[in-house]
Amino acid sequence: MSNNLPCLRHLKIICLISLTVFCDSCTKNSQSNTAYYYWKQNFKLNAAQTELLEKTGNNKLYIRFFDIKWNTKTKLPYPEAIVNFQTTTPGRHITPVIFITNQTFEKLSPAGIDSLVRNSNQLLEQLARKNHIVYQAIQIDCDWTLSTKATYFSFLKQLRTISKKKLEATIRLHQIKYQFKTGVPPVDRGTLMFYNMGKLSADPKTPNSIYNTKDAAAYIGTLNQYLLPLDVALPVFSWSLQIRSGKIIQVYAKIGVAELENKMRYKPTVNENVYEAIDNFFTAGVYVKTGDLFKLEESTPQLLQQAAQQLSTHLNTDTTRTIIYYELGNLNLSAFKAKDFQEISARF
Amino acid sequence: MVSDWYSYFDKKVDSGILNHLLLKASAAGIDSAYQSNSLKADKKKLKAFFDYLSLAKSAEKFAATDVMYSWEPQPAVKPPVEFEASLVKSFKKSKDAFIKQRLWFQLVRYYYFSEKSDSTLLPEASKTLKTFEASKNSFPQNMMHYRTLGYVAGWHYQHKNYAVSNYLNSLCYNYSVEAKIPSEWSFHPQEEADWNKTLTLAKTNEERATLWHMLGINYDPLRAIGQIEALDPKSDKLDLLLARIINITEYHISGGNGLSSLDSAEKRELKQNTTAISNIALKNNTAKPYFWNLAAGYLNYLSHNYTAAKTFYQAAKPQLPPGDKLVMAQYQILDWVLYVKELKKIDPEVEAKMVAPLNWFADLKTGKDTISSLRFAYALDSSLHQIAGIYKKQGELVKANALENYTDFYIQNNNIEQMKTLLQKPNKTAFEKTMLRYYPFDLQDLYYHQAQVLAYQDKIDEAIAMMTKSESEGDKMLANPFTMRINDCHDCDHQRKQSKEIYSMDVLKTIQLMKSQIKKGTNVYENAILIANAFYNMSFYGNSRIFYSGEVMQSGGNTPFEIPIAFRSMLLSNKIAEKYYLIALRAAKTNEQKARCTFMASKCEKNESYNLVYTKPENSNGNEWTVTIEPVFYGAYFSILNNEYDNTKFYQEIIKECGYFKSYVNEH
Repeated sequence: MSNNLPCLRHLKIICLISLTVFCDSCTKNSQSNTAYYYWKQNFKLNAAQTELLEKTGNNKLYIRFFDIKWNTKTKLPYPEAIVNFQTTTPGRHITPVIFITNQTFEKLSPAGIDSLVRNSNQLLEQLARKNHIVYQAIQIDCDWTLSTKATYFSFLKQLRTISKKKLEATIRLHQIKYQFKTGVPPVDRGTLMFYNMGKLSADPKTPNSIYNTKDAAAYIGTLNQYLLPLDVALPVFSWSLQIRSGKIIQVYAKIGVAELENKMRYKPTVNENVYEAIDNFFTAGVYVKTGDLFKLEESTPQLLQQAAQQLSTHLNTDTTRTIIYYELGNLNLSAFKAKDFQEISARF
Repeated sequence: MVSDWYSYFDKKVDSGILNHLLLKASAAGIDSAYQSNSLKADKKKLKAFFDYLSLAKSAEKFAATDVMYSWEPQPAVKPPVEFEASLVKSFKKSKDAFIKQRLWFQLVRYYYFSEKSDSTLLPEASKTLKTFEASKNSFPQNMMHYRTLGYVAGWHYQHKNYAVSNYLNSLCYNYSVEAKIPSEWSFHPQEEADWNKTLTLAKTNEERATLWHMLGINYDPLRAIGQIEALDPKSDKLDLLLARIINITEYHISGGNGLSSLDSAEKRELKQNTTAISNIALKNNTAKPYFWNLAAGYLNYLSHNYTAAKTFYQAAKPQLPPGDKLVMAQYQILDWVLYVKELKKIDPEVEAKMVAPLNWFADLKTGKDTISSLRFAYALDSSLHQIAGIYKKQGELVKANALENYTDFYIQNNNIEQMKTLLQKPNKTAFEKTMLRYYPFDLQDLYYHQAQVLAYQDKIDEAIAMMTKSESEGDKMLANPFTMRINDCHDCDHQRKQSKEIYSMDVLKTIQLMKSQIKKGTNVYENAILIANAFYNMSFYGNSRIFYSGEVMQSGGNTPFEIPIAFRSMLLSNKIAEKYYLIALRAAKTNEQKARCTFMASKCEKNESYNLVYTKPENSNGNEWTVTIEPVFYGAYFSILNNEYDNTKFYQEIIKECGYFKSYVNEH
């Protein structure tokens, strides 16, 4: 038996090569699925969102159910911003997501893991039952570090056992690059968060921190060696950085191109996507001072095509891969059309 | 709140009891307090109070809730429907205006919480607004009125009527100090249109000034100052904003090196602020012109426009309120800092001028004089630094060191002698007396320091004489300084019980005795190796580092980097120890003894190889992380040990204990 193994391995490699060659020539035949995150606390889909979901995503949604944060007063973890379903969820393809702050695992004692697992699972089941959601998998989102790895992974292991569901975890780019240091979470699948790769910078010349080819390239060289099958999360959000006196004051998702194109308030600068305020005023609860710079960082269909192109060449072939767009609740439907999502997903 | 009730009861109910009942007691606690009949006041008023309190405590269940963190689903907190009827009934029934106004507050607040979640409710259908409007003129416009108004502002905010909400909050803000924080927190203009509408709602210039003031403290103090100054230059709403501009500028500059620490944007902002504040100061039409002149002077000072700064300070001087100790002191500090900044050289005339301010600062520093809220430490330290700098340039090191003690001063014994002369001078000038108020040491500290230095030069007789003058026996050694070990282990030595207490002076006297015996040729090997051990242990590498502790050297810590560079070579050196190990070696009779001396000399030699790095001038401000210690250098003594004493027992011991030696042997 053991003598046969090397042969089998060769066979696999040959298959992989032929698949890659095949895929390169006809990306349209991709098997990947399209899905969306829904991250807002109030779950409410409008007609356009519902239509997009039906048309492109086969109604597949990753819904943030709640966050878990460390309470410094009681020294215990608690759920926060629990989702409030104002409309029913479409279909049966819902994956609940729990966002857990890394601080939770920094503070949590090993003895506290048990009850965190039990509490999290109970709350998930409760919310699902109440809202008639049937789910097969749970996704956990946590930017773990070396110091929290042990506690976090132990949490995941126990959650998988107790929930009897498939478990998924979000994976950040640095965790791919340094997988042997940061460890590979004990889950069934990972979701590669292919965004927020650059540092937020007050320098108007630095590239888009949400996605840029150069920063991405530094991380994805070893992607095909990652020890978990990977889904991919892509950004469909934008924000702008308010910069005053050379320092970032705040990042606002609510200040977008529509506001910044207002000629009465802003003028373009020599740097692309950087605007300068020409007056003092309030907008969306933000005070803008003359001379403030707004650096708009957007993800556009073109940019995502580029990201998909760059990423797909480094990923292992996986016919069950899901491309998850972040996120549907705040999605700007005038910038992204159904066709864009289909085309981008098809590149995988 | 408590004081209102205290007056209501004509001061007959203790305010501590009221505080407890109003703010802490539970509903049951109130009941038993009432039943106990222990409060002595008007019976009718007491009944009204307890009736009201019972209602108010019930209202806290929905109005004064905290965020509940739990894994269990939490029921939404809603005001009970039936509560409305009891509040309305009590309100209608109440004849006591004091209580009635509070019931009105309770009702408005009840409606606010009832209507909070209904964002579609129109103002004309709101009971919150209706109840407020119906009785707002029936009561005095006191704190209770503004607390009630705060809920009306909140209602408008919840219903996205930001313009009105912000306007009402500004009225609350303006009412009293207590009302400032909650209303300031609730002030959130959303769009420019809201803000413009808020401004049109303001009925008087004072109301408009309050709005700009709130914009100023939250977002843009300079713009607000311009707007308020145009409305009413005498407005007291300007003061806090001006203070904020100064604070922001100081914040940018603090920790840095004055103007040069600002980036270009901060410099631009400083220039803008300086120009704007100077212009207002020049108009001389505010309520406190001295405040503006001082601020303009200070901003100009920070911008290095010293002439302009002086002009503003001079303009401020006759305007200052003589009775205001804090303002007068602030002026004095600003004036002094500018004076020092412009000094180029210091002669007796300047010194005479500095006597009074330096004495004043010394009084503040020592707590002889206190001025509440006055910050002076940074101004004083930076001015002393400047004066010391000028003295150094003029070659007057004693004066420089007296005002700002610095360790390099003590490298030259001559400097110390001059300092001692000054300390002992019988008829000191006024300036010398003032200057010495800043000098941290006394004559004995200097004698002690000189004794230490002499000891590290192996001038033991002189060291003993000097230590005697210091009137101190020094510190108690934490371990026996005459012992030796193959591997340095201070903790091991410190743990070992000592048969008798040894002080610095005892160390010196013992060395003195041993040296005299060597001179006579008595037990040379034994005496020399013990002296060598003592010098080794008195150095940084030994078990008796405490020997070099003292006021002047300030050399503590676990790494050589914590020893000031001025004393580092002296305290790190093992040269004298090595000299005595070699004396012992020459007097040694057996190979075991010789191996011992040679090995100890090799330790001195090895330490010197570290010292080369530690004492480099470029590493004077380095630390363990920034400085790389170069590899140990294997010197002559390892080779002698290996070639001549490899047949000794001691050789076997060091092979076992000393990794460096073992690697040497393996390599050779």
